[in-house]
Amino acid sequence: MSPLAQIWTIAKLEIGRAFFSRRALWVYLLALFPAVIFIGHGLDAKIKRDRWTGRSIASPVAIDSLSPGMSPEQVIEKVGNPQDNRTWQGRHRVESKDNDKVIIEKTEMRSMFYFDGTRRNDLRFENGKLNRISKNQFVSFEEDRKVYAAVFQYFYLRLAIFFGCLGIFINLFRGEMLDKSLHFWFLAPVRRDVLLLGKYCAGLIAASVIFGSGALISFCAMVGFQDPTQIQSYSQGEAAIHLGWYVLSAVLGCVGYGSVFLAAGLLLRNPIIPAVVVLLWESINGFLPDLLQKLSVLHYLQSICPIPAPVDDNVPPVLRMILSPAAPSSAWVAILGLLAFTALVLFAATHAIRRLEINYGTE
Amino acid sequence: MNSDVILFENVSKFYGEVLGVNKVNLHIPSGITSLVGPNGSGKTTLMNLMTGLVHPGSGKITVRGISPFAPEKLMRIMGYATQYDAAPRGVTGYDFVLAGLLLYGYAPGEAEKRAWKAIETVSLTQSAERKVAAYSKGMRQRIRLAQAIAHEPQVLILDEPLNGLDPLVRAETIAMFRNYASEGRHVILSSHVLQEVDVFSDQVILIANGMILAEGEIKNVREEIHEHPSQFLLHCQEPSRVAAMLFEGGQVTEVKLDPQGRGVLVLTRQRDAFAEAIERIALSGIEIDGVIPTDENVDALYEYLIGGGR
Ligand SMILES: Nc1ncnc2c1ncn2[C@@H]1O[C@H](COP(=O)(O)OP(=O)(O)OP(=O)(O)O)[C@@H](O)[C@H]1O
Ligand SMILES: [Mg+2]
Repeated sequence: MSPLAQIWTIAKLEIGRAFFSRRALWVYLLALFPAVIFIGHGLDAKIKRDRWTGRSIASPVAIDSLSPGMSPEQVIEKVGNPQDNRTWQGRHRVESKDNDKVIIEKTEMRSMFYFDGTRRNDLRFENGKLNRISKNQFVSFEEDRKVYAAVFQYFYLRLAIFFGCLGIFINLFRGEMLDKSLHFWFLAPVRRDVLLLGKYCAGLIAASVIFGSGALISFCAMVGFQDPTQIQSYSQGEAAIHLGWYVLSAVLGCVGYGSVFLAAGLLLRNPIIPAVVVLLWESINGFLPDLLQKLSVLHYLQSICPIPAPVDDNVPPVLRMILSPAAPSSAWVAILGLLAFTALVLFAATHAIRRLEINYGTE
Repeated sequence: MNSDVILFENVSKFYGEVLGVNKVNLHIPSGITSLVGPNGSGKTTLMNLMTGLVHPGSGKITVRGISPFAPEKLMRIMGYATQYDAAPRGVTGYDFVLAGLLLYGYAPGEAEKRAWKAIETVSLTQSAERKVAAYSKGMRQRIRLAQAIAHEPQVLILDEPLNGLDPLVRAETIAMFRNYASEGRHVILSSHVLQEVDVFSDQVILIANGMILAEGEIKNVREEIHEHPSQFLLHCQEPSRVAAMLFEGGQVTEVKLDPQGRGVLVLTRQRDAFAEAIERIALSGIEIDGVIPTDENVDALYEYLIGGGR
């Protein structure tokens, strides 16, 4: 039997347990969390939009033709009746120069609200004159894409896939040591490194399916609730490419972190230690010399993401170093770098597994 | 040349500070070989060493010419029913046996046929589709046996295989071992008591505290045990003269002066002849103050190993 056939046989025997390891069912919560956020956000926007759309929709052209100084009547004549209309009196004190007399000035305030299908338009009048129009995109596609990029990089890659792979891969060997069933694999006519790769494949398939679909579902949820014209233009343009890169970086995240935690599960008994060490390593990676930065999974993944995650200008420089990759490599270099990194880790793991002994008791 | 024996050359294994086995030399021909020793004596350690589950700290092992570091070769000719009670999570008895055969490389159809055959051999056909976790102790013992024999290995290793079997299955199992041995295969099994295995074993290996005490055909081993050397401390005048006299008489295996100057340390296999010799020495005028056995624990151990029957 060729080693490749053996790897596949082992992966098939192992895959059910990789998907439904009793120790790692929480992995699904991590994978689906962004999807839940974006579906929630989208539904919320949709409900609001439906509510406004139910009433009359103003013409965007008419709204754009409004100019400051117009009276409410002129506006109504042009655009039609507003969906919301409020008046109130503004008061403010005016200190008079005469000793202690206080004059209260009154202003007639009025606000009108129009929904034009995509934007919310708030018109503000003072003493019968239009003085401010604020137009807000109802669901801002630009903004949502940035939020998605941020959620994907800061939560999904950094935490969800990281801990998900921890849960799935560390149990491949450590779980069997705890269950006292690892010797069963060692007694098969299979080279130890072949066994390692077989188990890695099983974990990788499970993790990729779980986190790839998580990325896919959340991306669709983010796009699906946008304005239909925007969905159309985006899906004819970059959507598929962006989605492809997101799913690919999720899968590559599983490839990289999977190898790290598979190796950790062979070398260490306590899963907390490798988790903390790797998390720290990834966090301080931005401060390290160039060469050491190549030994980070996140470094490569962030280089692959299609839209850079926004970093607020107010963020202190130290934190910014932690959040952003220092020198993003080009996508293909990043992919090759990640695969090379993974191969290196797996190679080290085959050394560990060859020396591994069954040391659980027989009781 | 050594392609039909299992060889241990000066093998030691420590678990950290704890001794597993110490400086073991073994030459095991085919046939049924029983490893006998009390709890913690190193039987499982020896078996794990020859199957590659643990690695020797020093020394060398070959199984029919194959190193235990090459499972892809070794496990083609070997089946090992361990003492470990666990099967992979959630598998049925049938899955458990089948998985081993698939890894062995049989095509699915052939693997299924062999799995059922092995399960039938251990009379578990009725319960094959149930989860191993829900098996009784004896059933788990049998399913492990089924897994070990499913690919009809040349070397069959069984850690306490008779434990927990009812008399009927036990007789069938032993018949199967004999059958295997008659085909020139190795069957190596372990047990706590010699009487349990002596009737059907071709060889026995007695082990205690990680050391091999005796090895060979059952009859010879019995004699060896019976005449195992006992150690005595002889309190006497003129120790060196006494030592010389004892040695000339030939009743002792080893004589040396006690390093603490208390007298003579003697190792003998013939206690009666030794007693007579001492009498003679005393009569010749040398004062003997006492004869003290120094190794009562070891004596008890041999007593244990040989058990009641002879
Ligand atoms: N994984 C381990 N870690 C530490 N010590 C061990 C380990 N396995 C065995 N030992 C020690 O090695 C010695 C030999 O143990 P072994 O299991 O080989 O004995 P055994 O003859 O099989 O005993 P039993 O009849 O109870 O099965 C014992 O002192 C045991 O405590
Ligand atoms: Mg044992």
